[in-house]
Amino acid sequence: MDSKKKRRKLTRREFLGRSAAGVTVLGFSSTLMNSLLLQTGCKTGAQATDLIVPEDVLKKAVELLMSKGADFGEVFVERSAFDTLMSDDRKINTTTLFEKGVGVRGVKEGKTFYAYTASFDPEEIYKTARFVADAAAQGQAGEETLIFNMARETSDLSFPIVPHPDEVASDKKIEMVQGLTERAWSADERVNQVSQYFQEIMRQINIATSSGKIINQLIGRTLFYALAYVKDKDGNLQMGMDSRGAYAGMDFFTGENSFEVVVDKSVERAKILLEAIDSPRGMFPVVLGPGGTGVLFHESCGHGMEADLVYKGSNYKDQIGKRTAAKGVTLIDDGTLPDLPGSFAFDDEGTPSQRTVLVNDGIQENYMCDLIWAAKLGIKSTGSGRRQSFRYPPIPRMRNTFIDGGDVPPEDIIANTKKGIYVAQTGGGGQVDVITGNFMMGVGEAYLIEDGKITSPIKGATLSGMGINAMKTIDRVGNDLIVFPGAGMCGKGQSVPTGFGMPTIRVRGIMVGGPGEAWDNVEGGAK
Amino acid sequence: MKQKKEYMDLTKYAVDQAMKAGADAADAFVTDSQNVEIFTSNRAVESVNSSSDAGVGIRILKDQKMIFASNNDLSKDAIKEMVVDLMKKVPFHTPDEFNVIYGKEFGVLEGDWSSYKDLLSYDPKITEVPVEEKITKAVTLETSGLDHSPKIAGAMYVGYQDQATIAYLANSNGISGWYPSGYCGGFAQFSAADGDERQSGTQIQIGVNYDDLDPVQTGKMAAEKAIQMLGAKPIKSCEVPMVVSPEIGVDLLSYIVGMLSADPVQKGKSLFAGKIGESVASGNISLIDDGKLKGGLATQPVDGEGVPRQTTPLIADGVLKTYLFDCYNAKKGETESTGNRGRGSYQSSGGISSTNLFLKPGNVKPEEIIAGIKDGFYLTVAFGLHAGINDVTGDFSLPVAGFKIANGQMTYPIRGVTIGGNLFEFLKSVDKIGDNLTWIQSTGCPTFSVESIKIGGV
Repeated sequence: MDSKKKRRKLTRREFLGRSAAGVTVLGFSSTLMNSLLLQTGCKTGAQATDLIVPEDVLKKAVELLMSKGADFGEVFVERSAFDTLMSDDRKINTTTLFEKGVGVRGVKEGKTFYAYTASFDPEEIYKTARFVADAAAQGQAGEETLIFNMARETSDLSFPIVPHPDEVASDKKIEMVQGLTERAWSADERVNQVSQYFQEIMRQINIATSSGKIINQLIGRTLFYALAYVKDKDGNLQMGMDSRGAYAGMDFFTGENSFEVVVDKSVERAKILLEAIDSPRGMFPVVLGPGGTGVLFHESCGHGMEADLVYKGSNYKDQIGKRTAAKGVTLIDDGTLPDLPGSFAFDDEGTPSQRTVLVNDGIQENYMCDLIWAAKLGIKSTGSGRRQSFRYPPIPRMRNTFIDGGDVPPEDIIANTKKGIYVAQTGGGGQVDVITGNFMMGVGEAYLIEDGKITSPIKGATLSGMGINAMKTIDRVGNDLIVFPGAGMCGKGQSVPTGFGMPTIRVRGIMVGGPGEAWDNVEGGAK
Repeated sequence: MKQKKEYMDLTKYAVDQAMKAGADAADAFVTDSQNVEIFTSNRAVESVNSSSDAGVGIRILKDQKMIFASNNDLSKDAIKEMVVDLMKKVPFHTPDEFNVIYGKEFGVLEGDWSSYKDLLSYDPKITEVPVEEKITKAVTLETSGLDHSPKIAGAMYVGYQDQATIAYLANSNGISGWYPSGYCGGFAQFSAADGDERQSGTQIQIGVNYDDLDPVQTGKMAAEKAIQMLGAKPIKSCEVPMVVSPEIGVDLLSYIVGMLSADPVQKGKSLFAGKIGESVASGNISLIDDGKLKGGLATQPVDGEGVPRQTTPLIADGVLKTYLFDCYNAKKGETESTGNRGRGSYQSSGGISSTNLFLKPGNVKPEEIIAGIKDGFYLTVAFGLHAGINDVTGDFSLPVAGFKIANGQMTYPIRGVTIGGNLFEFLKSVDKIGDNLTWIQSTGCPTFSVESIKIGGV
């Protein structure tokens, strides 16, 4: 424990002071990162502005990468630590994952050539850069010697991780999760099992681009999942869950986002399901509560607006300037929001993050683009080029996607719905077929709406339909927008964290699936 | 791909370091893999990602407490540092009397694991074929689909992927060895158009042997599936018999087997708990996990703990026989490991998973199953199974597509409907099982039918 104290150079205040100056100045003062630092030859507590590999190595690697005629490219250096604390069956276990590597991408005529090495040895990095340069040349160009002028680029966006993961000792975190586990067990006598996950992720990323930028950023995330299983005396078993995930440290988890709220909600949801009736099926009004439920539009519409899929013929192709949603519906993808899991200062090809209005008052305004697909579509990158790690080339992805708030009080939306369902929590994720626009979304916590009132809880429901139809049949937009700090990961061959949100809304054109009775000819149900 | 002696030595080094640092027992797992991923578009390569990856995962057992960490730095210094870190943290873990590093109690595979040729799923050709040839295969796949019919409007995801891995395992109880594994395959998704209507079709072919890949056929099948869906419409809500295609059957089996893992069973998270010896499915259902299946994609000599792979009948004639076990859950359940500790890469300490899982075929032709139905639904596409199936209660609700069965004939395509029910009841309502056992990756299922399913429509 003594050695740990010695290692820590930055105090909390210094840390805050530094991080206020921009994302490039967060320091690795942590034991979480300690073994990485030893491996890379950096001294523990190295100045935060230190690159993972020296600037001249990055510069030479870019010069080699571009020496055979690639149109553009970059060198992406990463070192990461993933610390996971699991509580399952009242047993605490931890795992630690360290990863490091250098990914090199060369783009030639819109084609991507990619390779990576796990080594930070300059010779290995150069070898990888030469390999990609040769591949991108496709047997055509000869070699030329290039000199690149590289400059450090910083951002005004700041995402402080407070406290830094190693400012709280491992045993304190274990104690905390043990307490949270017992909190769940003692919440109800029907609790049958409790599983909880607490994870801290720190990734330092250096990007050196052929446009001469050098970026040094730290991406950190803290996640907490709580699962509760309850069993009644008849042997009925149900599971409830809740989670949070933020580009922030443990201090973020207060109020509605506190660990205690998440734990209590997991038990509450499982208990509600024990009382739930089978969901009705058919086409009828669906009211979605605010927050994480916004994942519905991430899935049903967002993917179809990613530039690579647009270019290849998703159902959003050629829709700029056209109506793709009801009037009053504005869909935004924003990578600049504090604390949210899909935020960052620079995307993974070095473009500054931004707020992108995708649909404005029902009219399609933009798509989410990285450099390659923006060029193919003849528009600009929106800073949406993301990758899972150094092992993958960047592709267009969502960040924090949400429907903007409207002006209807949420209680009026429910009061104005005669018969339908209210979805308080989506669950289990979803899927979309971007060719047809068909999507599906699981449902966690939901209720019947009868005569303008929320009544019996339901189980086994799913939502499906066509994304554009769903957006066009939104007929109420509430004034209670929440962009939710969820722990969700979005998969598209690679996995990245994304945020979702929306206010309370009502949709008519969504099909509800369920094991219960068929509801036909419900008032307000779209055909 | 060549075996590297230094990696075998490194696993033993890691175990030695752990024991020197005071561990009661330890194991180390190194995986060394080569991967190629190619995407195509416009009949040419869109991206190529060619890479190799190696790393080490170390498990340490101390005072009945288990801890794990992994790293892709294979230097001895990094391993030493990891061991120090693990030993510092392990005292904070909860002791668990069932934590165990495998001894030899459930048998050992003598000698060189890689010499058991029938227990390997590995084709050396995967790493010998140059990337250019794999690009040609991927482009052929795309071209074959695009040229299949003028109704094909475009391609979405088309490509080729392979991986070859050598796994090295050593533990402090004298288990050590290595073996190779690998897979290769093509995938395609095409859109078919008719006026403003768009339909999609997907086909994936993944196997062990490079020469078995048939990109022309895979492309055609994906394209044909999209074309067949043109004109699809929803139907009214109803309850009718349903025929399940093998492609959806394997997906459903993978959820069922998840609930048959001893871990959720012992922790009270599975409704299969306490049902050994009871009837849990129709009498015609036998579900088998065969880790030794010759040519199976998941066939390996040993599992992630070094326990020899086995053949495990889970359900026999509708009766639940056993669960899938690793060493921890076997010790807890006072039984033997079934050799089902899956460990995909060095990054994970693993968990219970099925190997080559299949539903035993019946003796009816799939056409005869359809011919026997007057009014029914043939299920070919199910969407979002991970979200639509509750793996605790078995309740499911899924958006689906397929075909109307009328008077024993497949007729028009259906899309925009859902099916709902409960997997436990579903298993008991299987009435006919076809003779066409079809393997999709490492799961096999024939066509089968259920007496009745609730369809949600408009």
